[in-house]
Amino acid sequence: MPKLIKNGEIVENIYHWQQGTEEAATTNSIVPAQKWLAEKESIGSVAGIWLEAGDGVEFLQDVDLNQFQVIGINFPAFTDGRGFSYARLLKERLNYQGEIRALGNFIPDQLGYLLRVGFNSFQFNEEVDLEKALKLHKPFSIAYQGDVSDPRPLFMRR
Amino acid sequence: MYQYDAIDQQLVEERVAQFRDQTRRYLNKELSEQEFLPLRLQNGLYVQRYAPMLRIAIPYGMLSSPQLRKLADISCRYDRSYGHFSTRQNLQLNWPKIEDVPDILAELAEVQMHAVQTSGNCIRNTTTDQYAGVISDEIVDPRPYCELIRQWSTFHPEFAFLPRKFKIAVNATESADRAATQVHDIGLHIKKNEAGEIGFKVIVGGGLGRTPMVGVTISEFIPRADLLTYLDAIIRVYNQQGRRDNKYKARIKILVKALGIEEFRKRVDNEWGHLKGKESTVPMSEFDRLAGFFSAPAYDDLTDQPEVLTSKLASSAGFARWFERNTFEHKIPGYRIVTLTLKKAGQAPGDATAEQMQKAADLADQFSFGELRVSHEQNLVLADVRQEQLVDLWEAAKEAGFATPTLGLLTDMICCPGGDFCALANAKSIPIAAQIQETFNDLDYLYDLGNIDLNISGCMNACGHHHVGNIGILGVDKKGEEFYQISIGGASGHDASIGKILGPSFAQEEISGVIQKLMTVYVENRSEEERFIDTYRRVGITPFKEAAYAKAN
Repeated sequence: MPKLIKNGEIVENIYHWQQGTEEAATTNSIVPAQKWLAEKESIGSVAGIWLEAGDGVEFLQDVDLNQFQVIGINFPAFTDGRGFSYARLLKERLNYQGEIRALGNFIPDQLGYLLRVGFNSFQFNEEVDLEKALKLHKPFSIAYQGDVSDPRPLFMRR
Repeated sequence: MYQYDAIDQQLVEERVAQFRDQTRRYLNKELSEQEFLPLRLQNGLYVQRYAPMLRIAIPYGMLSSPQLRKLADISCRYDRSYGHFSTRQNLQLNWPKIEDVPDILAELAEVQMHAVQTSGNCIRNTTTDQYAGVISDEIVDPRPYCELIRQWSTFHPEFAFLPRKFKIAVNATESADRAATQVHDIGLHIKKNEAGEIGFKVIVGGGLGRTPMVGVTISEFIPRADLLTYLDAIIRVYNQQGRRDNKYKARIKILVKALGIEEFRKRVDNEWGHLKGKESTVPMSEFDRLAGFFSAPAYDDLTDQPEVLTSKLASSAGFARWFERNTFEHKIPGYRIVTLTLKKAGQAPGDATAEQMQKAADLADQFSFGELRVSHEQNLVLADVRQEQLVDLWEAAKEAGFATPTLGLLTDMICCPGGDFCALANAKSIPIAAQIQETFNDLDYLYDLGNIDLNISGCMNACGHHHVGNIGILGVDKKGEEFYQISIGGASGHDASIGKILGPSFAQEEISGVIQKLMTVYVENRSEEERFIDTYRRVGITPFKEAAYAKAN
């Protein structure tokens, strides 16, 4: 399995991102969230679910998300920023505590912002030099706005 | 004006380091063209027709004289010794080299400047009234609120990859809207409620470009403490629900229009319900801190109409003309607001040479506490000039080419760089401006015509705001030839409206002739005190249309 960045380290990826709907899910699978919600009884235990851009998070509001080890958010293109709001809403609105994984076509230069909205693991689509990507983790040492690690804007900390 | 502390400074320096590394990786081919594109755009760097273009942020148009000198210096060392002031109060350099841009940004950081988010699908430079803080009928000075928005929007982690660009403008006076707030993604009008509390009327979904729209009111009053949570709510709804399948339908105006304002408001209110009162609520201490940066300069106790002014007004028609057109009433007795126009015939509207920038910085030091503003109409403003020094300033401004006494008149045009520079343009716009300037060179006639906004864009993207010009000129491509569509009846103030297209487009050489015909219709139809736009609104488009397309006989 390819490696990924998780919590600032390069680690083995133990989960399988299930993209085709025909595949059978296993306990290591990250399955499409809509599909999981529709068929959760038959799907059984999985590692987590993933959101497609356009899904939003509202349809998950009655689900106990903390049953999942991981929730993935797909970036169909790195310029599609919907996932930035989804991650934040998962954390701040739906109180999800587990791993939030960026999937798809995001790029290493987005790591700084992705981390600030709640992502903590990164599974790159293309061949990316993870050592180099890690160096782009924290382009700024401070921020004006609050974020998931500290909700207080700078004016509360200045 | 706002002064960086160690944190603000550190942030711009870290941005320079980040962009230096990105540029290095791009030039080494570690970053693809496609990946570098949004990264460079978020630092204001475009790739244009002949060379890159760098758009430097001038937050809400405020500039200090050392900053302007630095811009002049940068334009000499890295460009062709001039710059272009844009309708969003920024400065564009048309000929920098990509590999020099990190150094340019580093030099800008030395004077607390940057090019952060001056392009790209993110929250752009916030703009406001160029007379902010110095006019008497202002509710409060909008600049502290602009700075609050600047900081909130700078490197906002959630909103760096929106469906499309996002522009916010702030107005703080009932008598005028000099920031065209109703044609912004969000327009904020500072208000006081009955209890005397400060807040904002919020207008959403305005914008120009391919589908021009005047914004609609989403809230009559948002208390200032809630401003940032409310903005977060609007943009969070837009970020998730705005269209991403078609870049021409991706602005927030399309979403607002598609949902209807009722439904859009409901969604925003629902989102806001979760954010209101939370951490991003702005405390009074922050308003006070920011307001402290915009306190009044050390005005002297003076009286209006000093003798040196009144005698010159009586003796010099040229000075009187300039005083009437290019200066504006100040809230403090004995002071006046002066516009240094960048509309000299023979110079592209909004362009300033390095020498002119140096000169403007000197004039700011000599006459206006070392500060300037850039206006949405692409001029420079000295906000705090002693009336007793107006004659001296006029002489100096004339020498530098800043005293063309046509502010607000037909030839005080807004004009984008157009096909001479811009890769997006369908047609050139600067030669059209030049043609109009040449044709309408009789000051008496221009004065008689009075206030007319004429705006020129080289393409549908509408950087020259042609839709909201009383007369708008749009460059179009007709089988590979440059043609121009003319619209009339647009306005950008409190009475904002989108102009109507007159009819089939015209060849370049026909333009000033058509404008002359439109002016004749206006002069023949106007009643006393009626501006061009008033006459148009009363008589409608037909007489103008008939005159413009009448066959010569």
